[in-house]
Amino acid sequence: MRPSAINYMNTHILPSFEYYEPKSLGEALELLDRLGGDAKVLAGGTDLLVKMKTGALRPKYIVNIKRIPGLRYIRLEEGVLRIGALTTWHDLEEDPVVERFPALADAVKQMGGLQIRVMGTIAGNLCNASPAADAAPPLLVYDAEVVLASVKGVRTVKLEDFFVGPGKTVMQPNELLVEIRVPAKGGSSAFVKLSRTSMDLAIASAAVYAEFEGEVVKEARVALGSVAPTPIRARKTEAVLKGRRVSEEGLIELLRTVSEEVNPITDVRASAWYRREVSRVLVYDALLKAFERSRGGRA
Amino acid sequence: MSEHVFIGRRAPRHDALPKVTGALKFANDLEAPGMLIGRIYRSPYAFADIARVDVSEAERLGAVVITPDEVPRKLFNPRLVSVDEVTYKDHLILTKRPRYIGEPIAAVAAPSEELAQRALESIRIEVERVYKPVLDPFEAMSPSAPLIHEEIMKGDQVLKVERNIAARLSYTEGDVDKAFREASVVVERSFRSGKRYHMQLEPKAVLCVPEPGGKLTIYATTQTIHNTRILISQLFDIPESKITVVKVPIGGSFGSSIQVNYLVPIAVALCLKARRPVKIAYTREEDMLDHSNYVFHMRLKVGAKRDGEIIAGEFHNILDIGAHQIQAYPLLGTSLGWFVSMYKWKNIRYEGVAVYTNKVPSCALRGYGAPEVQWAVETVIDELAEELGVDPVELRLKNYVGRGDIFWGQGPTVRSVIKSDGVPELLLKGRELIGWDKRGRPEEKKGRFRRGIGLGRGFHTSGAGGPISGEVIDFTGAVLKLNEDGTLDYITALQDHGGGTLDAHVKIIAEELQVPPERINLALATTENTPYDVCTHASRGVFVGGEAARRAASIVKQKILEAAVRLLPMAVNPEALRIRYDPAREDAVIYVEGMPEYSITLRELARKVWQKNWGTIAAVVTYRATSAPPSFTVYYVEVEVDTWTGKVRPVRVVAGADVGTPINPDMVEGQLHGGFAMAWGMVFSEDTPYNPETGELANRFLITDYKIPTAQDLPRLEDFKAVIASTKEPSGPFGAKGLGEAAMNPAAAAICNAIYNATGVRVYELPVTPDKLLKLIKEREGPA
Amino acid sequence: MRVSFKLNGRPVEVDVAPNELLINVLRDKLKLTGTKYGCGIGECGACTVLVDGKPVLSCLTLAVDVNGREVVTVEGVSEDGNPTPVQRALVEEGAIQCGYCTPGFVMVGEYLRSKKRAYSEEEIRSLIRGNLCRCTGYVNIVKALAKALGGG
Repeated sequence: MRPSAINYMNTHILPSFEYYEPKSLGEALELLDRLGGDAKVLAGGTDLLVKMKTGALRPKYIVNIKRIPGLRYIRLEEGVLRIGALTTWHDLEEDPVVERFPALADAVKQMGGLQIRVMGTIAGNLCNASPAADAAPPLLVYDAEVVLASVKGVRTVKLEDFFVGPGKTVMQPNELLVEIRVPAKGGSSAFVKLSRTSMDLAIASAAVYAEFEGEVVKEARVALGSVAPTPIRARKTEAVLKGRRVSEEGLIELLRTVSEEVNPITDVRASAWYRREVSRVLVYDALLKAFERSRGGRA
Repeated sequence: MSEHVFIGRRAPRHDALPKVTGALKFANDLEAPGMLIGRIYRSPYAFADIARVDVSEAERLGAVVITPDEVPRKLFNPRLVSVDEVTYKDHLILTKRPRYIGEPIAAVAAPSEELAQRALESIRIEVERVYKPVLDPFEAMSPSAPLIHEEIMKGDQVLKVERNIAARLSYTEGDVDKAFREASVVVERSFRSGKRYHMQLEPKAVLCVPEPGGKLTIYATTQTIHNTRILISQLFDIPESKITVVKVPIGGSFGSSIQVNYLVPIAVALCLKARRPVKIAYTREEDMLDHSNYVFHMRLKVGAKRDGEIIAGEFHNILDIGAHQIQAYPLLGTSLGWFVSMYKWKNIRYEGVAVYTNKVPSCALRGYGAPEVQWAVETVIDELAEELGVDPVELRLKNYVGRGDIFWGQGPTVRSVIKSDGVPELLLKGRELIGWDKRGRPEEKKGRFRRGIGLGRGFHTSGAGGPISGEVIDFTGAVLKLNEDGTLDYITALQDHGGGTLDAHVKIIAEELQVPPERINLALATTENTPYDVCTHASRGVFVGGEAARRAASIVKQKILEAAVRLLPMAVNPEALRIRYDPAREDAVIYVEGMPEYSITLRELARKVWQKNWGTIAAVVTYRATSAPPSFTVYYVEVEVDTWTGKVRPVRVVAGADVGTPINPDMVEGQLHGGFAMAWGMVFSEDTPYNPETGELANRFLITDYKIPTAQDLPRLEDFKAVIASTKEPSGPFGAKGLGEAAMNPAAAAICNAIYNATGVRVYELPVTPDKLLKLIKEREGPA
Repeated sequence: MRVSFKLNGRPVEVDVAPNELLINVLRDKLKLTGTKYGCGIGECGACTVLVDGKPVLSCLTLAVDVNGREVVTVEGVSEDGNPTPVQRALVEEGAIQCGYCTPGFVMVGEYLRSKKRAYSEEEIRSLIRGNLCRCTGYVNIVKALAKALGGG
């Protein structure tokens, strides 16, 4: 029988590691290139240090990127919101420009507690690649991209192609996520999340971006969290929604497609059955919230 | 309120400032020169036999290490509250036969936590056999299940364990079968509670310091300094006079330190071996492995006549106690007590069985089974009312155990007569405030979001005292002395878990002596300067400890009056004198009744008593209460259920409490606020499920997956109303009773009954996560 | 590694290993035990301190990360030795029971006060959800913060 790792857990302290504190992006990328898979990048620390304390990770090297200048910014340039690698959730919370991306603003408000938002970076949330990452569904419906840098150069990856599995992304060990790019769109959006308490990972979450003509959905993009090995887009549902009226009776029934598109597991937070059941409710709620916003002019 | 000067007045607690500035030191904040940090090597298997523990590498790293062979091998029970003849002993300090994941096998101490951790990780165990864990109590009772314990001790008798049954208790009164035959309505239901974890904010800690002359000083997170001393004395054969346990502030408890926690004897053993101070502070994950609550598998059957008179009650109670007994046997008795003291069943049958499983050992958690039993009883009573077609409020008023009835909440040997009873007042006031009569019926409620109102009524005892000695130890003590400047030192072994117990004591003394509370110093208390106190538990702090304080103050007062006669010679005797608080002089004034010009302040008196060599005015009291009166509580709760997701939102709460005289109304309300929050967690999220294969906690010991409510999950300020009944308990200090546990006990029942009123769904299994509630709602409504 | 930072208004220098956590350096090396360990994984908020004015979890902060920064703990929130309005309100509203979570709430309260704006009850509840309390049901804590933060 597999023994418990209890004796390897100690949340009072951190295991030891070799520590690097690069002062420039170039230095950081060179370090990552040299240290390879044995290195972990430390930004906010709210995921990494927890994993180290609980015995889930014992990295040999830590590359702390917090002292690198120029990686913490939120800029809306030519219709694209650019978010730097060191930008925290709290930075987003405080920046009025984020209100132009309501689904993202919703996610920010529901993410963790204040202290986690002050420390944690949104880029770190994506790199951690939890299926429950609060940042993912809103960014997916905005068709966001991430910019990955390495000594070899820079590449841009669509967020949809970024996640590979739980805790896994397309990033190479020598790469750093340096920027998130979110195109601004004219429609309305919302994010909703269901969890056990207000301070929790999502049992399931959904973001909807939609363009309405009156009550009719002209275009919809739907993404969900915590209901599959990665955050997902629900394309069948998007097609189903197109041309529907939001007031249409039985809309919630039509959204059964969502339950077909998700592939949830049972874990300590909820059963697969439950996640399947509520994912369509979350999509419904997000759609209606987006619709309300479109009428209120807060796109 | 006007009859009292200090009692009933809202005032900040004495330790508020040290707490809000971070100055107050909890056990983990203490250190001693040369101190080592201890860590415990815990079983990675739920049930195994260990052949050998290899600590050579740990020792090579410089750590002091103890193994099962190096510590006393006496079976013990960490909780000393029952008399020895009914104390079941099955613990060892360190074991080679771990019975749950996390059970201590060895321990290390090193100059830093990092070194200690490294030493810990170097320990290797040779496993002789790993058993498949037994996690279900019914499976554990099957003849084919392996025995978790083969032999245990009951007092000094060896007991052979059969079918993993740790203890049993049955009781009958009247002719139950006949009564059920005669009943017009019978309701029978089964219930199961979750295995909750206390989640007190302070993980337990201990610092053990060797002193010259073979003495030990122990600073521990504990609800009982005296029982800590007795147990350490018994385990290590050290006279009690050589052990001093110091009372240090405790960061919440809720029962988690009602017994001597496992880290205390381990720290003592390390300290004795190292001859240096040793501190062990649990990580949160270790704390979760130390203790959690009992799981109740209950079957209740109740019968009533058509007119609403209840005539029979039957209760089958299977307790899943985990790997060791702490208070399994007493809990079988109190569970019965909670049951019989709820309603006048008239004919009673009870069967209680406590069963070992390979889980974290269970200990009391706020209410000691009352929240679970009252949830079940109040659910069944709600159903009974519905079947009878009577108002649930009326049914309760007609049948509850109240004034003049015999009450035995803490078990069959702890009985007394109820003398104060605020139930009618609370039931009727709450009904009005919540809008009970307009709550509607579940079948009338449609749509996605449905609201419902539920009622839960219950109680807790004030301590475990009674007119006969019984099986439970319950007495306390107090020391009070008048200082030379007219201030007072008050010393009690009783602990304040945070509820304000000791502030209540101070106010009681202040009232008795008519001195401002600020003049009374809560002095450092240790086992050597306090009379015995059993433990701060069973909501006895104010009722029992407060009465001891009042008696000490009353003796001091008498001596003050006697001294005053010598200083006010015109007075013929002490009876001619009165004592009253004078706000102008901010002091107690002793004066001749009817002739206030003949007076002396307490300050002057104290000074003169000193200067004239009359000795110290002081009192030492030891006190046993002859009753444990019920503090009744009544919760009316309104919830809103999202029938599409199973999420429930609290809408309104009316929390009613009958605490007798509220010594500090602020703190009474504070208990109700906290009690409701804990019940909300109990109903919707709190549980520690196990991996059925490995016996490991499914949350991997992390509170990431043990959710307690946050500020955002609870009702708005304007939606929480606390109501305090206007009663007075004749046997309590200035009419006061306890509250800590009553504040929570029936709240879960009220929430579940509200869910029913909203949706028509009855909750028989806790926690009812959104997942489970949605399933229940869908089952009831059929395919959409 | 030698780190220097401002602690409660005064400069300090301390030798730390890279894996040392701010909470342990504060408590064990600098003897400021007001900052409490509650869970070690960022779930409870008892270890909250202000770094450059913002509330962070000292249990998930490397000590080397505060090099050159300004750290304020519960012992240092008051500038004049008197309790701050947040501390006073917590005392007056009966918001303190066992007191173990209190320093964390004080630090969040101080951060919110530094923003010099009013907070609604709803906002306060949301902003303190990273701080767990097991005694009070948060009622009097919310009441106190509403009073201190001038909200409605």
